[in-house]
Amino acid sequence: MILKKLRETWEDFFFTPQSPTPIALFRILYGMCVFATVILLHSDWLEWFGVHGWVSLSTVTTVEPGVRLNLFKVMPQDDRWITAFFWIFLAFAVLLTIGLWTRFSSVVVFLCLTSMQQRSLFITHGGDTFLRVAGFFLIFAPAGAAFSLDRLIRVRRGLEGPEIPPRAPWAQRMIQFELALLYFVSFWWKMKGNTWPNGTALDYVIHLHSMARFPLPGWVRYPLILKVGSWFTLALEFCLGVLIWFRRFRYPLLLLGLLFHLCLEYALNTPMFQWDILTAYVLFIEPADLDRAWRIIREQLAKHGNDRQFAV
Amino acid sequence: MKKSRTRKKTGTVENAHPRKRTSPSSVESGDSGTRTFRQGAISIFILFHLIAITCWVVPSQFPPVRAIKELVRPYMLWSGLFQSWDMFAPNPRPVNSYIKAVVITQNHHIHVWTFPRMEELSLSERYRKERYRKFTDVLPEQVNAALWPDVASHLARYFDSQADPSEHVTLVQFSTDIKPGADESFDPVPKPTVFYEDYVQPENLK
Repeated sequence: MILKKLRETWEDFFFTPQSPTPIALFRILYGMCVFATVILLHSDWLEWFGVHGWVSLSTVTTVEPGVRLNLFKVMPQDDRWITAFFWIFLAFAVLLTIGLWTRFSSVVVFLCLTSMQQRSLFITHGGDTFLRVAGFFLIFAPAGAAFSLDRLIRVRRGLEGPEIPPRAPWAQRMIQFELALLYFVSFWWKMKGNTWPNGTALDYVIHLHSMARFPLPGWVRYPLILKVGSWFTLALEFCLGVLIWFRRFRYPLLLLGLLFHLCLEYALNTPMFQWDILTAYVLFIEPADLDRAWRIIREQLAKHGNDRQFAV
Repeated sequence: MKKSRTRKKTGTVENAHPRKRTSPSSVESGDSGTRTFRQGAISIFILFHLIAITCWVVPSQFPPVRAIKELVRPYMLWSGLFQSWDMFAPNPRPVNSYIKAVVITQNHHIHVWTFPRMEELSLSERYRKERYRKFTDVLPEQVNAALWPDVASHLARYFDSQADPSEHVTLVQFSTDIKPGADESFDPVPKPTVFYEDYVQPENLK
């Protein structure tokens, strides 16, 4: 009886078809984040990944042994190839964002992202890691089933109607799981230290010169505010890791999480990290709510043009 | 046409009652046996990754968790699913630091190279140079000692010339302890620590 119930819950959670609009929207935001990540590396691309970069490929291979997906290991060690890799990576990030050859583009983007990070793990931050692991599961998702050129082509060819067919969301669930796990494990790690539980952690964080971005208001520096801020961070990370799975808490938590990351974006010098994480928030929005929003946008746009072009 | 009408109906039902189960036949092709097999295979794939990722990432010393982590290590490293979520944890760094390099040439000229420091860059530069923040944070750590000769060679090449080749490189970390509760006027003198120095081998200048 329990096994049957478990099986039904499992199938319902992972396989009951739902609108693919959340994963399609995630694909667009994800593609934009990958594009920004790559373009920000442009000026120092050969410094990090070139033949005569800061750290050689052979040293990286020694430090990080084992068989790994790393295109740098199979590509000729020539800066022209490595520069070409940059442009190919960037092009496929664009293709993924607009949803052209979506499946293939997602595979290429994941391979490039993984290779890039395997080549230079010492410059990788949490946002990069999230893009990598989310990219793995995005390969299996119906990411091009909505808001994509692929769908537009299918509609034009008469292969699909104006309604977006529902699809099994198991790959989307895995990315959701990754996001929730990220928060929960962050909470767990922080609880292993002493500065987060005793409330002094944020005092250290705001004094890290390399992390400071914009000036903070004076009241933020009060010890009590910093203490409350440290405990709030712990509480929010726990809730975003656990309570996010309960529908009644979901939207308030997503809103709090959004505000939390926007505050961090203002205060800390962590380019792309906050945005990389926030992309996955869209996966927790009910497809019905997203569909409703999309329908309203379509109706507004249709007033000014051909409805068919908004069928993507 | 008939097919798309069926899909439309399924989508409407799903949207109105998100938890209500919909027949997969309306969205997937193939007979029941193939579908069951496919769903079973995907379930195994999901279950494996749920267990592997969780055991990999949790900071637990529980023996079964450690055993599974060791078991899945080759797959996690190969696939790019390795991950850790310990931002500012277990404790934030208690020091401010930056790195300088000193390159001495054969003619005894001294060049000092400062790695980009975020606090001295403009906002747009910080976005582009942020990787240096991460790099200089982790570089002096003993676990990254294998990277030091490469970094030294890179800097030696940067200042190298036919007339006056680079001869010696020193990497120095300057650090100050963070004092919680201190105001902005608290600005101690950075303490230098040489973490690498060596003569440059001619083959490393090529």
